[in-house]
Amino acid sequence: MVPWVPPGLISDPNLPALMILGLMAGLLALDDTALAQTWFGQPLPAAILTGYLFGDPVTGLAVGLPLQLVLAGNLPVGQTFTGDPTSATVAAVGGSLLAGRPLSPVSVADTAGTLPLLGWVLLGAGLLSMLGHPLIQAERRVNGIWMLKGLHSLRDGRLARIENLHNRCLLTAFLRGLVSGILFTLVIHGVWVPLFAHLPSLLQTSLGTLPLLLPGLGVGTLIDRYGLKNSWHWMALGMVGTFFAARYFSGVLP
Amino acid sequence: MNPDLTRKSPEPAARMSRGLQWSLWLRSLSLQASWNHQRMQNLGLLWNVLPWLRRKKRHINRDRLFCRRYYGFFNTNPYLANFLIGGLIRLEEDLADRPAAESEFIGTFRDSVGRALASLGDQLFWLGLRPTLIMLICFSGLLGQVSSILIILGIFTVSQLVLRWLALQRGYELGMDIVDLLFDKRWHLWIARTKRAGMVLSGMVIGLYLAQVADTGVSPGRGMLWIGTGLGIGLPVILRKRLPGEAMIPAALILALLLTFAI
Repeated sequence: MVPWVPPGLISDPNLPALMILGLMAGLLALDDTALAQTWFGQPLPAAILTGYLFGDPVTGLAVGLPLQLVLAGNLPVGQTFTGDPTSATVAAVGGSLLAGRPLSPVSVADTAGTLPLLGWVLLGAGLLSMLGHPLIQAERRVNGIWMLKGLHSLRDGRLARIENLHNRCLLTAFLRGLVSGILFTLVIHGVWVPLFAHLPSLLQTSLGTLPLLLPGLGVGTLIDRYGLKNSWHWMALGMVGTFFAARYFSGVLP
Repeated sequence: MNPDLTRKSPEPAARMSRGLQWSLWLRSLSLQASWNHQRMQNLGLLWNVLPWLRRKKRHINRDRLFCRRYYGFFNTNPYLANFLIGGLIRLEEDLADRPAAESEFIGTFRDSVGRALASLGDQLFWLGLRPTLIMLICFSGLLGQVSSILIILGIFTVSQLVLRWLALQRGYELGMDIVDLLFDKRWHLWIARTKRAGMVLSGMVIGLYLAQVADTGVSPGRGMLWIGTGLGIGLPVILRKRLPGEAMIPAALILALLLTFAI
């Protein structure tokens, strides 16, 4: 136990669960850029899959949906790649569930109850994703070094070297996801969620507002990408039509 | 050097052997695994086309030159890359018995077609399909349809895998004539359609969210949605740069703190 940390703040991790989360993060990290790019590594599906893994897809939905919306404008393209939302999302859902704190989606959560904790977990996921950014950049720098090693094959024509180097890069992406997933889960489960109870009430109230701000923020980012002038009428069409349809068929809403 | 390789003759379409196609297709899934800042997908591309070379008898000098051809800077869209990979294999076969100088033409072909496919793919996949699909799964998420999110992504996964498979054969059939494919007007039609679908779906997400917060009585929900939307549009204008989504979360917390003080 660390002496300066309040008692009960750091709880014991569950090793098999951590390993499963690490494997999940590793596989989804591969999907992000290195392998197939199926988009199952996006925050919403990653969160739901993690939720299913622990028997609570609703917590996955609660965390994944606002994260997915706010990260909708991020492009996973070469140089513009930012953050590691995949590992952060897996850790946020897994860490919360391991800490025994299931979460509810914004539309059913009460503002005084689970909403502030959801805001706190979302903030943690965002910060961890930013923390994962230098790791991804380091991985790409290592890829660059190995790529330069492949120049030897241009002299000796040894094809096995090229095969090994590429496979090594693939393995590194998986291991980076696995390690990030485990470390981030430890942070969320052991420190971040327990720390919530020690936050000042003003900050807790503000955190309750955070999940409500994020969907608009994400949609606003997309409007910025599409261009307000080009997109407003199509968006207005979708918004007005859906709003009235949802009000009319309110029985079908969860 | 630009060898005359256009094939507009009525000869039957060339077919890649099934074993080679499988091998190339499987490898094409990890084209970006060795992405690096210096030469981007160069190592990935070379690794991708090696099964073709492996089927030939070893010849050190030829293999060396082959590696050299594919080791320069290369970047394209991973979903459309197989058109190019199929075309490159066809060119390699056509130029196999020609002088080495003619093979250098493959590098020029690779760069120009790769760039054009990158541009089309970025518009179609990253700026068109991706936001559309994201908004579709978010819409399903708002409806609480958890399993449909996975089904939608499953359909996308199968479709893109089929596209990659077909693109490989199509690229091989066309060879140099892939260039004609790039001028097909349907690309731009699909780009416009997917973007428009994304815009409508974004509006649908807002509409459903508004209806839900109104129904479930999350009292500050509606106001926060509009404040959040305003912040999302306004921040890039104020800061003169687009922030990544992760940086938006602390920015939203600062706004939430200010709002708490104000209320």
